[in-house]
Amino acid sequence: MRFTTRLLTTAVIASAFAAPAMANTLEKIKDSGVIVLGHRDASIPFSYLADGPNPIGYSHDLQLKVVEAVKKQLKMPNLQVKYNLVTSQTRIPLVQNGTVDLECGSTTNNLERQKQVAFSVGIFEIGTRLMTAKTSGVKDFPDLKGKNVVTTAGTTSERLLKAMNAEKQMGMNIISAKDHGESFLMLETGRAVAFMMDDALLYGEMAKAKNPANWVVTGKPQSFEIYGCMLRKDDPAFKKVVDDAIKATFKSGEINKIYSKWFMNPVPPKGQNLSFPMSDEFKELIAKPTDKSAEQM
Amino acid sequence: MIRFNNVHKWFKDLHVLNGINLQVQQGEVVVVCGPSGSGKSTLIRTVNQLESINEGEIWVDGKNVADPKTNLNALRAEVGFVFQHFNLYPHLSVLDNITLSPMKVKGMDRAAADKQAVTLLERVGLAHKKDAFPAMLSGGQQQRVAIARGLAMEPRVMLFDEPTSALDPEMIGEVLKVMKDLAESGMTMMVVTHEMGFAREVADRVVFVDHGQIIEEAHPEHFFTNPQHDRAKQFLRQLLTPMN
Amino acid sequence: MNYNWDWNVFFKSTGIGSEIYLDWFVSGLGWTIAVALVAWIVALIIGSVLGVMRTLPNKLLSGIATAYVELFRNVPLLVQLFIWYFMVPDYLPESTQVWFKQELNPATSAYISVVVCLALFTAARVCEQVRTGIQALPKGQSAAALAVGFTLPQMYRHVLLPQAFRIIIPPLTSEFLNIFKNSSVASLIGLMELLAQTKQTAEFTANMFEAFTLATLIYFVLNMSLMTFMSWVEKKVRIPGMMGGAK
Repeated sequence: MRFTTRLLTTAVIASAFAAPAMANTLEKIKDSGVIVLGHRDASIPFSYLADGPNPIGYSHDLQLKVVEAVKKQLKMPNLQVKYNLVTSQTRIPLVQNGTVDLECGSTTNNLERQKQVAFSVGIFEIGTRLMTAKTSGVKDFPDLKGKNVVTTAGTTSERLLKAMNAEKQMGMNIISAKDHGESFLMLETGRAVAFMMDDALLYGEMAKAKNPANWVVTGKPQSFEIYGCMLRKDDPAFKKVVDDAIKATFKSGEINKIYSKWFMNPVPPKGQNLSFPMSDEFKELIAKPTDKSAEQM
Repeated sequence: MIRFNNVHKWFKDLHVLNGINLQVQQGEVVVVCGPSGSGKSTLIRTVNQLESINEGEIWVDGKNVADPKTNLNALRAEVGFVFQHFNLYPHLSVLDNITLSPMKVKGMDRAAADKQAVTLLERVGLAHKKDAFPAMLSGGQQQRVAIARGLAMEPRVMLFDEPTSALDPEMIGEVLKVMKDLAESGMTMMVVTHEMGFAREVADRVVFVDHGQIIEEAHPEHFFTNPQHDRAKQFLRQLLTPMN
Repeated sequence: MNYNWDWNVFFKSTGIGSEIYLDWFVSGLGWTIAVALVAWIVALIIGSVLGVMRTLPNKLLSGIATAYVELFRNVPLLVQLFIWYFMVPDYLPESTQVWFKQELNPATSAYISVVVCLALFTAARVCEQVRTGIQALPKGQSAAALAVGFTLPQMYRHVLLPQAFRIIIPPLTSEFLNIFKNSSVASLIGLMELLAQTKQTAEFTANMFEAFTLATLIYFVLNMSLMTFMSWVEKKVRIPGMMGGAK
């Protein structure tokens, strides 16, 4: 009953927020003097909490670029920034109901989500691949026949893996762990031979491992996904500010500096280096920014 | 049948039984009386070891009940006990209250146990209530069932611990009547009660207990007409003064 | 809020074989029931034994039961689950370990862990209810049972427990409902029970509110059925002549 009540409460609160439909985020920011940024707590190195109370990360740096642009646009140099932690379950409703103005983390732009929210131009592109022990003998997806494979619940990888298992009758046992950390734990404790996930996140998990040299990211990417920042739908003015800020960062080449800071150098909290060079797919995205999802391209 | 040899019992600092010596012969009816807190209930509960003792010996039917080697379950099966608050099993019908122990303890089969139970219920005048549940009965009826339950084990001794104290006055008679019939059938009985009429009419001996000691032990006629001890006199005076 | 409602979402293909999202809810409900019911039966048995132990005169036995209750009631359920799933298997003999972690279907090994975890956790709570039930009985009941020569086990079996269980049906009902709700921890070790399937659907379709509304509805109907069942049981065992059970 407690669970049910909580759900109902959430629904009631959500609909209460819903009443003033705010189509114009810029106006809302101007009126309140506050911009609310949605962030994650453990999406390393995209958006996460490490030392201080405020988030850090690759996506967060781009989010701050947008904040700068908003300040300029509204001529509000003292614009106040407020942070709101979101989870994979809350991020969409919190953007929709106006709690969060802009969410930049590791959210894949896809068609289902486009029905609920708008996406900025892509800020990152990943491929879905495998991590496995160097000694496991697994090189690519066909090697997974009849094996235990872990992936994180609710991700595209999970759906791809399950579809592949059904179509090609591979007889895999698919474990859906609750988050990436737990997926890696399943791999590490031998419950699964491989972990399928976004390659950037796999590198992130690898960097955290006790002995990163034991692990390898392998296999042909099964899909590409473009991460974007989420904002409310039907708000062209705000979307333009967001897109322009990101595009400018791409164009000036500053994106390379930001990329290198988070993917080619040691990052907090443990000073791991992900050593994840920029993929050709992402280079192409930087050259030709788009707010389309990968499936639309 | 029952013999107390210098029995002592303490509840922490309270010396509840202080050197009890008492014998109950087979077929004898002994009434134990005394003011409340005198130790009389404790006394009767030591016979089947619902209360343990600290010193002394109690022999029942040739067995020392305080000896750890004595099989208490077997002994208790031979000693019926009737409580002040009846203590029927509320979840069982009257019939099942009576048949439970013969079946489980003595291994009697259901048919025989039922037959015996009906006979006993007839004896206490409650055969028509065999399918009722305890909560549907009056206090007097419950106590009569409790007596039938005790008899179902075919005990050699019946112990009664203030069997009528919890009853409304109009129900006391029916219970005493059953007890009297039982006494007349030759049952060995030890009865803690304030019912002096019963004591006078039925008892072979009255034992007066105060402060954990047996102060007076006499034939009822002597006890009521000519008590020896001051405390017994005072007790009887208080008991016989109405509305006190 | 510019939310895009779409109640047809449950009939859309998941993109995996010919499954639709509704199938996920059905299979999730199946796992939820399978986890909760089995764990409940085990919890009732263990909890009853422990509850009896707590009321025994034997200091060692009652001490063991007390320690059990303190341990299992005070460690958060989630922590217990992780211990059962991730740590305990590492202390099994090598061959059992390989069997449990690799040869066994992961859903089965997760199922075993979560049933053990929930059963032992709930047993501690059942134990306390059973103990309270027994202690709530008038002292005269055990005296009456002992006086006719019952052994201790006979006394519990025929006199104390039948009454104690009747008294504790209402709190047991609430534990019974709790175990269904608590079974959602299974999602954290990859067992796709109802809550996991709900989150999954929400994640895949971005139709979060539809998914959680359906889940709410299912949990509600489930709880109602359980409560109806329990009040039927309560009525069934009610003692004639007594209001609301034994006292």
